[in-house]
Amino acid sequence: MRAEVVVVGGGITGVAVAYFLAERGFERVVVFERSYLGSGSTFKCAGGIRASFTSREHIVLMKRSIELWGELSRRLGIKYARSGYLWLASREEDLERLKRYSSIHNQFGVSTRFVEPGEVEEMAPALDTSRLVGALYDPLAGKASPFDAVHKLYLASREMGVEYRFEEVGKILVEGGAARGVASSGGITEAESVVVAAGVWSRQLLEPLGVSLPVEPEPHHAALTEEYGRLFDPLIIDLESGAYAVQTFHGHVLMGVEIPEQPSWEPGERLAFLSKVVRVWSKWLPWLPSANILRYWVGHYEVTPDHHPVLGPVGSIENLFVATGFSGHGFMMGPVVGEELASWVASGAPRTEEAAHLTLRRFEEGRLIKELAVIG
Amino acid sequence: MAPLRSLVCFCEGVTTEDVDRALEEGFRDLESLKRRLRVGMGPCQGRYCIPMLISYLSRRLGVPPERLAPPRVRPPLEPVPARLFLGVGDEG
Repeated sequence: MRAEVVVVGGGITGVAVAYFLAERGFERVVVFERSYLGSGSTFKCAGGIRASFTSREHIVLMKRSIELWGELSRRLGIKYARSGYLWLASREEDLERLKRYSSIHNQFGVSTRFVEPGEVEEMAPALDTSRLVGALYDPLAGKASPFDAVHKLYLASREMGVEYRFEEVGKILVEGGAARGVASSGGITEAESVVVAAGVWSRQLLEPLGVSLPVEPEPHHAALTEEYGRLFDPLIIDLESGAYAVQTFHGHVLMGVEIPEQPSWEPGERLAFLSKVVRVWSKWLPWLPSANILRYWVGHYEVTPDHHPVLGPVGSIENLFVATGFSGHGFMMGPVVGEELASWVASGAPRTEEAAHLTLRRFEEGRLIKELAVIG
Repeated sequence: MAPLRSLVCFCEGVTTEDVDRALEEGFRDLESLKRRLRVGMGPCQGRYCIPMLISYLSRRLGVPPERLAPPRVRPPLEPVPARLFLGVGDEG
């Protein structure tokens, strides 16, 4: 069978691309996943979703992604809540930063606003506000369950005829300057187009084709407490350390913070992370020291020099597309990336002008995008 | 009287019927079943339910149990109070 489109990678990006291709009427879409769905970076992420960025590209695309999260949640029953983001400042300098961010958000139509301690206590009853100097609230932001999102996009796309093969793609086949399929552990699959959505590992797939993706595997750690009743609704961010915490749909508190790390393909667990994340969050959540830590894991951000993704045609090879380099924002962008890539494959152009700014070409031309608010 | 149910996972209340449904949906490996059904995600961390699930899957799929890889173990091995991590590790 000759496929219309082969998608390499069964994380949020791959299943979303497959879903939107099927919705456009593609009948022969094959997704390759070498391990299990979500096994790369998606299932290690916190599930936060926001448009409160500080670049036009991120804001415009994420506003569309949030619309799609709402639609997908209604249509497929994905666990998703517009429960907000709350940025916490405990120092004057952090409050000044929040004011700068907020004015950029508002300028692009994302209505973040400063909230008083009383309102903070209503939305986050388990938070100690005594150190609070200021708090910025983003009511458009929210969270979704990564497991539920990937599994339901998989089930819905499978229902629409997408085929999933649990095989490793070793090679992208190119002939006469155009992609013509992939070689996997199960043999050769010919295709009219190939979409590489293999997270940071996309780099290794494209390297033999002379395509150099500027993505680095940056280790990021996360830990999870046992489950509790309602503690706080929004995802909370400590501006001083960049740490985040979110209460999952099941009631666990999922926390992350950056520690000094070098790029690594196989990062290990670090006691220093647990120590720092508990110390930072105990300042805002004074009950945390007596809460139990249930699980701890390490994943990747696939980081580009400008913290924006690489989307769309590879350029030097026809019919070859890529979607990676999300720098920690791949899950939240999943739906809009699925829609944009499906448009690119179907019609040769993205749906949104801003997506066209994010092709690989910007690195060759030195037109990087500026983003100030990268967290966790 | 409530119908009888065969529990695979006590912490999360997952039954053999739930497992059968997930198998029909195409989730056949333990990492996926864990995340689809929450088997092994409760306080026991899979200590009791994962061996039972492996035994059940082995019979349902006709695969020897040693061919069914258990999910990767995430530290800590059992729930640990967060305070134990305060002031340990080489914070940079």
